[in-house]
Amino acid sequence: MTVEQLKALGCNTSEGLQRCMNNESFYLMLVNKFIATTDLSKLEDALNNGDLDTAFKEAHSLKGVCGNLSLTPMFNVLVEMVEPLRAKVVMDYSPLFNEFKRLFSELKSL
Amino acid sequence: MKNISNYVQHAKRKVLIVEDEVINQQILSFILEKEYDVLLAGNGQEALDILKAQYKEISLVLLDLVMPVMDGFEVLKRIEDDSLLKRVPVIVLTSDKSAEIESLKLGAQDFIVKPYDMPEVILARIRRSIMLAEETNLIIKTQKDDLTGLFTKKYFYEYIHEFDALNSNELMDAISINIKRFHIFNEMYGHELGDRLLVNVAKALKDLTHTIDGIVARVGSDTFFLYIASQDNYQFLIDDVLRPAYKSIGKDIEVEFRIGINKYANKDDSIEKRFDHAVRASTEDKHSFENTIIYYDEQMHNKEMYYDKLLYHFEIALKDKEFKLYLQPKFEIQGDKPVLSSAEALVRWVHPEYGMISPGVFVPLFEENGLVRKLDYFVWNEVGRAINEWKTKYGVSLPVSINVSRVDLLDEELFNHLSQMIDGNNISISDVYLEITESAYSDEPKLIVDRVTELSNRGFLIEMDDFGSGYSSLGMVTSLPIDVLKIDMSFVRNMLTSLKDKKMVEIIIEIANFLKLKTIAEGVENKEQLDSLKEMGCDIVQGYYMSKPISVEEFTEKYIKTKE
Repeated sequence: MTVEQLKALGCNTSEGLQRCMNNESFYLMLVNKFIATTDLSKLEDALNNGDLDTAFKEAHSLKGVCGNLSLTPMFNVLVEMVEPLRAKVVMDYSPLFNEFKRLFSELKSL
Repeated sequence: MKNISNYVQHAKRKVLIVEDEVINQQILSFILEKEYDVLLAGNGQEALDILKAQYKEISLVLLDLVMPVMDGFEVLKRIEDDSLLKRVPVIVLTSDKSAEIESLKLGAQDFIVKPYDMPEVILARIRRSIMLAEETNLIIKTQKDDLTGLFTKKYFYEYIHEFDALNSNELMDAISINIKRFHIFNEMYGHELGDRLLVNVAKALKDLTHTIDGIVARVGSDTFFLYIASQDNYQFLIDDVLRPAYKSIGKDIEVEFRIGINKYANKDDSIEKRFDHAVRASTEDKHSFENTIIYYDEQMHNKEMYYDKLLYHFEIALKDKEFKLYLQPKFEIQGDKPVLSSAEALVRWVHPEYGMISPGVFVPLFEENGLVRKLDYFVWNEVGRAINEWKTKYGVSLPVSINVSRVDLLDEELFNHLSQMIDGNNISISDVYLEITESAYSDEPKLIVDRVTELSNRGFLIEMDDFGSGYSSLGMVTSLPIDVLKIDMSFVRNMLTSLKDKKMVEIIIEIANFLKLKTIAEGVENKEQLDSLKEMGCDIVQGYYMSKPISVEEFTEKYIKTKE
């Protein structure tokens, strides 16, 4: 995986890098760590079961990490999800979640 | 800017990052680690545990709000409620605007948004928060007690001045609150719990001043002063303020308080004096094991005036020889007839205004402020003179026991003082016995053992006074080089009516026999007691039945001239 590839996916890599004191390998290490440790099934189950509380917490922490790593397209989707989840709005979250899943596997395939 | 450069020059400070997401933790650590030592906590509970253990070394907390186990808001509340943790500034990490206001209200100093600002911005905010907190703490430190956050005495008095100026018509009470036997609490439960107790009591008193006009301070290790709008009844202080405070340390512990109240404290008195009176009232019950609320009253005031006069008059009394040496004879009783063996030196004060004053009044008073040493030297010297006179005028040698008080024993020059008295009067060490009280031992056992051993090695005979009355331990009897045990007079007085007291006398005599020590029974008032003591094997008696204490002149007349 390279910074160029992330940039091609629409990530604001210059911001992400700055946050990591412009240390490219540290930045990429964190992105890889994010891919390796993220388990989307918790969020998926919570959404399927209508457990909006758990879904909010999951989406909120994903948003925090994606934001800090400047994984911009994923971050944007999560922003759209987190606010209604925080307000416990009952709606169909699957289009947003599926979009996030797609972006995540795109990242994973790099 | 100068401040910042100073600040950076200082040693690395510690920052606690509280964040459940590992990647966020790592980014923050990476940004901070050049400038700070970083500690990590994954949830609120962990953070509190680390803070409680290391709050003194931690300069700042970076706190995430949404976390498992215990969230950031709860952590903020707990920190705000704890006077020790409160000093550590907290910066909240949040992506949510509304949470910012809430966290500032809960005591957060600043916030850092998510996704994180650029590292320079984060570092600048952290630096600024630490600097502000350190400056504030420095100001607080000089005004406030480190542990409890209450005012120190000096500032407390200053605030009372201000308070009185603004509220001149309000009737105020000056109150002293002391935790009974706090040193024992510390020994039993440890200093950490002792500190918690102090902190909780401090907080409860502080909270009280939010509902009733008042100011509170910590003025000694376990003493608090409260200056408060006058209340009719102070039982609530114990029931609703102090008891909940110690119950909240979460142990099944009972703590008692000693409360002294100077009601309607006179604003013409200095503030020191107003609280002196409160303290004076609180110490009225030295021995009660229960909660006590005592008001400073006229009787106490008169007593205080009386004591003040006695103290003031002390030097004159010494110079004018108002103190008189009295002697009470002691008799060997194991022979056919009681035989005079020695005498005990006592002191009386013939005051020009008050007449004869009992040593029970003035000795404790002089013990409190060290004057007792001067009085002791005076008495010792009178004793030396009498012994010398008996020897030279009448050719009679009779040893006399003198009291060596706790204060004397703490004095490393004690032996020199005694030898001066002995040489000055041209008598010898064997003419003088030393009586020490067992209560001296309980305060400073090692020092007392060393000092008494020195005296014994130099040739003095050592008598242990009031044995059995206080904290006697077998350890004390065996570690001190004692020659004689004086049985406390309360046992002797009751031995014919109380089986327990009689048993006590028997046991003391048995112990003495076992350790090859002599026994003296004090307070012998009748023939039955004398006979009974003789039968039990007691060696020597002293008491009104034989003779009350009499003036040295009378003693010489009665016991020395007849021996001639």
